[in-house]
Amino acid sequence: MQFAKFVVTRIIAYILVIWIGITVVFFVPRFMPSDPVESMLGRIMSQGAYMEAEQVKAMRATLTEAFGLEGTLADQYFGFLHRIFVSREFGPSLSLFPTPVNELIGRALPWTLGLLLSSTVIAWIVGNAIGLLAGYKSRWMSSRALEVIAILVYPIPYYITALILIILFIHINPIFPLFFSVRGEPLSLEFISSAVYNSILPALSIVIVGFGWWVLSMKALASSISEEDFVYFAKLKGAGEGRIMTAYVLRNAILPQVTVLALQIGTIFNGALIAEILFSYPGLGTMTYNAVLQADYNLLMGTITISIIAVATSTLIIDLLYPFFDPRIRQR
Amino acid sequence: MTKQYSRFILSFLLVLLVMLSSGLASAQEQTEVGTPRATTLIVDQLGGRINNPTQTNPYQAGTHMSAGLHQLIYSTLWEINTATGEQFPALAAEMPEALNDDFTSFRVALRDNLRWSDGEPITTADMAFNIDMVLNTPEFPYSGFLSQVIDNYEVVDDLTIILNLKRSEPRLAYTLGVHIWGDNFRMVPKHIWENEDPATFQNYPPVGSGPYTMTDVDPNGNWFLYTKREDWQHTDVGQIYGEPGPEYVLFRFYGTEERRIIAGIQNQLDIFTDISPEAWDILRDSNPNARAWHENFPWANFDDPCERGIVFSNTQEPWDNQNVRWAMALATDIKSVGLATFAGILRVSPLAVPPVQVIHDAFHKPMREWMTEFAFEDGYQPFDPNYAVDIAAILAEQGVEGLPEGEDALVDLFGVGWWKHDPAKATEMLQAEGFTLQDGAWHKPDGSPWQITINSPSNFEVQSQRLAFAVADNWRDFGIDATVQQMDGGTFWSNYSNGTFDAGSYWPGCGALPDSWDLLDAFWHKRHIVPIGQPAPGNAMRYDSDALSGILDQIAPLPSDHPDTIPLLTEFEKQFIVERPWLPMFGTSKFVPVVTTYWDGMPTADNFYEGPWWWWSLFKYHMPFIQPKSDS
Repeated sequence: MQFAKFVVTRIIAYILVIWIGITVVFFVPRFMPSDPVESMLGRIMSQGAYMEAEQVKAMRATLTEAFGLEGTLADQYFGFLHRIFVSREFGPSLSLFPTPVNELIGRALPWTLGLLLSSTVIAWIVGNAIGLLAGYKSRWMSSRALEVIAILVYPIPYYITALILIILFIHINPIFPLFFSVRGEPLSLEFISSAVYNSILPALSIVIVGFGWWVLSMKALASSISEEDFVYFAKLKGAGEGRIMTAYVLRNAILPQVTVLALQIGTIFNGALIAEILFSYPGLGTMTYNAVLQADYNLLMGTITISIIAVATSTLIIDLLYPFFDPRIRQR
Repeated sequence: MTKQYSRFILSFLLVLLVMLSSGLASAQEQTEVGTPRATTLIVDQLGGRINNPTQTNPYQAGTHMSAGLHQLIYSTLWEINTATGEQFPALAAEMPEALNDDFTSFRVALRDNLRWSDGEPITTADMAFNIDMVLNTPEFPYSGFLSQVIDNYEVVDDLTIILNLKRSEPRLAYTLGVHIWGDNFRMVPKHIWENEDPATFQNYPPVGSGPYTMTDVDPNGNWFLYTKREDWQHTDVGQIYGEPGPEYVLFRFYGTEERRIIAGIQNQLDIFTDISPEAWDILRDSNPNARAWHENFPWANFDDPCERGIVFSNTQEPWDNQNVRWAMALATDIKSVGLATFAGILRVSPLAVPPVQVIHDAFHKPMREWMTEFAFEDGYQPFDPNYAVDIAAILAEQGVEGLPEGEDALVDLFGVGWWKHDPAKATEMLQAEGFTLQDGAWHKPDGSPWQITINSPSNFEVQSQRLAFAVADNWRDFGIDATVQQMDGGTFWSNYSNGTFDAGSYWPGCGALPDSWDLLDAFWHKRHIVPIGQPAPGNAMRYDSDALSGILDQIAPLPSDHPDTIPLLTEFEKQFIVERPWLPMFGTSKFVPVVTTYWDGMPTADNFYEGPWWWWSLFKYHMPFIQPKSDS
């Protein structure tokens, strides 16, 4: 009964968070000082088309109608909610009119997920493993060396790390491609191998920058837990070092790391803007950025709504799963 | 001995094998998209990745044209040659023939023996179909435009059509043809489109009239591959200039400037769109085959068709005061602005039209003497005709080599001159208007500190961005609290259109032909003015001048070749100087280098058959001039 109440409360909160989030997403772009119709008109007219005032007015009316920007804000808002929850689509992109937003997101999302999911998980595993060793086996030379590397790498801005990798592995030793190009039919061996080959360097850059924080946080947790009474008790009981490190220290230290990982996985739907720009990698980050620049309301609402749903869902899943990881919560 | 002999033979064979394999690799060097490198022209893709790469319907609002679609797939009725400063018939057989004196009816003839890329003939039936389709498809932004122009048409035969217009159009070749960048009337084949819903038709792969076909695209929009048509003789390009040189043209997006420069150094990019002067320094130091427009200083091309400067929202105080605008010109040290913007690699312009070669020759140079003699009512002569000589001396002091000699050559390069840097006169003019200088800071007539905000592009149009900062520095030195507000494209243009800005680094001075009436009219005629807060159809500066509008009205009914057109445009320029509604400063300098490792015949200052406008529709006419190197 208690657990059912807990689940229902979390689900109501989940729905509220999503509704508030997408409502904000709807209104914020409309308060931006730019206008998608003017943006498109500016693009058309800057391309040399000379138009009389009446022609510009006619074109403005055509675009306003085509973009679905007629009617009051309330009309547009309820139309937006209807599209999301009933039709499950975000309408056409305004800057790439009339390409549907769903199609654009559907094309970019697998790249973003592939890159960020793998690099985030790799950074998490490597960082936590090194952090555990550094915290529990702090006298080992190798632990110290790895910790020093993490401390050195962690504060380097991502942009610099990525540029160094580009100069080293694309310019001086052209091991990786300068030109992002994936060939072959989707899911064919050629496609997968070229996708992996093209993604190694951007993934490596994210892992290098990301793993430092995991090392430092895990080291702090492991050091602290190693001093706990139950660890001493296990040692006195004669438990092996490996078992103490994994079953006693790691098991307790990993809980907050799992929480942060889940939240990070939620945020990967935002894309990795700088990585995408520097490595010309296709993904949601640059798509969202361009949507902001071009006042593409629909695309912006599409990408951010997905991000909101992803973060809210991952938080909900963690909330629901936590009692299974941590018996203390189950007991409350 | 035998052992030594065997070792020698083995070593010889190994060396031979390595040599053969490297030679074979060189001979078969491929691009990443599987075409032979030696016959694939690789072009920098302007505008970045295109997220809807298979949307090639040229009339839809969100279709990107500059990744090869309008350069290679679609020809227009009339095109422009920026080297000669003239339009020429492209799909049309000749320039439009007016059938009455009020220019409301024209005969248009198409070239004979043109074919679509699928082999079907191009006829007036296609042209009539396009007119009907656009007029009947309100979803196309161009529909609103065309409906204001065309009343009806009469198809005379397969190659002749008569267009009856809703209004007088003495410049029909401007209205339905290219006079800058491209034109929206891009004919598509009737036999394909008549079976589709034009508003939603993707049109991939497109069947076009240009000399290439789109044979492959990257699903992620990073590249577009075009292949030369086997029947190139049946295109306007083939008929006018002959066979295109490159078998393939690859438009490719590399990403940041750093990556593009690496690509140029590695010979993976043949043609660049804009790079910064600093990036050009790196490229030319690293690849001996890299070539800018000029072989030496100033390297850049000065013929981009829009000039840069500072505009004012002219209905707002104090910009509604002609003397204040003039004072700002005299408070500006144009040499320091030029040096800070692009290291002095710029051509100045004091006129409302850009200093591109043909316009420079038609207006700037002929008006130089008049500008030198021009005086305010108090007799003060504001023009400084010595800019070119002075900036050359500064650059020579900085160690710049290869500067031309003689005043005429320097004027050709750096421009006819600009307004004097005379803070004392600027101070006198402002004080006469009630401004006060207190503790080195200017105050407005109402006593409040004078603050100027200059709108600037944030991540695009780097020349305008740098210019805004350089001018703000100048005006701060003069005692005005001037700041730069950087904006993304949408905000930058919305503020401009709505008139909700103070000053801005915009560029309302464009033209590639001597007759630039249409753009001057759009920028300056008072009939376009709308209240601040409403999007302006033209004249976003909201400058209300009876004199300027009156001259534009006199030019409107005259065709470009009328003997009164250029003299009246000159009168417009003189009145423009008197009223000074904005501060044009420099033509746009384009660093658009090429890498000649694989190609001969790239356009340069020494081989000026056309400007380096790879992103314009006229790029297709470069193709017959660009030929693969025989030794590559």
